[in-house]
Amino acid sequence: MTKTLQTVLIVDDSPISRKMLKSCFPKERDFQFHEAGDGLQALEKYKELRPDLVTMDLTMPVMDGVTALTEIKAFDPEAVVIVCTADVQDKSLQEVTEKGAFLILPKPPNKASVQEALCKVEESA
Amino acid sequence: MTEVRISQIRVGETILDQPFPAGEGTLAIMSEDERDTLQEMMNIAFGRAAASLAEVISIFVCLSVPCVQLFKGAQLVSYLQQFVGPFPEISIVEESFYGKMEGSAFLVFPADAGGQLVPLFGDEETLYEGEAREDVERDALLTTGGILIGACVGKLAELLGDQVSYSPAKLVARTQEKTIPAGLCDPGSIAIVLKTDFSFREESVQGFLFLVTSQQSIGWLKQALADFLAQYEG
Repeated sequence: MTKTLQTVLIVDDSPISRKMLKSCFPKERDFQFHEAGDGLQALEKYKELRPDLVTMDLTMPVMDGVTALTEIKAFDPEAVVIVCTADVQDKSLQEVTEKGAFLILPKPPNKASVQEALCKVEESA
Repeated sequence: MTEVRISQIRVGETILDQPFPAGEGTLAIMSEDERDTLQEMMNIAFGRAAASLAEVISIFVCLSVPCVQLFKGAQLVSYLQQFVGPFPEISIVEESFYGKMEGSAFLVFPADAGGQLVPLFGDEETLYEGEAREDVERDALLTTGGILIGACVGKLAELLGDQVSYSPAKLVARTQEKTIPAGLCDPGSIAIVLKTDFSFREESVQGFLFLVTSQQSIGWLKQALADFLAQYEG
């Protein structure tokens, strides 16, 4: 059984980075995107929208991605969060995996890496 | 001691937050999108640099949101001094890079950072044995700085479709007045400054990296940014 993703919350403090990531999602699919510019906004929007998928940057002002991930998973253990980050240090990746990230998407994203991530999420359901 | 110094450096960050007051017209040199893209590239590049360093020594680098600013050459030295003064001594690893994008990278550490970094490279007793303490600490700083600068600038250049070569890294420990080479930038030209703060979680060493590239690189840089963004359009 697979799950079809529809609503996506893209969390990144960089507007250009959010735009880049959005453009990597398959055009033929009718995704509904929402955006947040920091971890706190992400948490609030998650509670309000309950999106099918969250993409989470780590280095952000106000509330960082690790904290936001932790808070989101505490609110909803079933939340699917893909960490999309430039911080590719092993310790960072290990930390977010322990906090419940579904997978890590190193920046910069591209269409193939996003497609692969979407397949993994949908196949896991 | 180290933490006090750095907190003062960070306070200084707000002093010249807007290097080009509205109305001077210089902000138009790069659009908001271009600066945002460059900032994101710096974020990616420094993230890779941190991972490269972690492969060599067991250290975790805490990253921060980088910033990109444009300065008139005449303002650059006083801007940079905001971050390094009024401390009596700091250590800077300096490396120049050459390619379509040319400039200099400066990794700024507190003066005592070398001593804190040495244990990360191995057994202290062995490392210091038969060597002048100063030389060992200098090597630790140069190695750390060389990896961070090389990996960061290299990744940034790769993202921009460029390949750069480097001058050998050198360590400068100077007093505040002489920290920034006066001839770094032509007073009449524009400098792009990419700055990122970092800290090493295990060692309480904090510092920042800034890259300065000259006005001559701007035309090429704008095109490279447009090319990079083009792959995400359509």
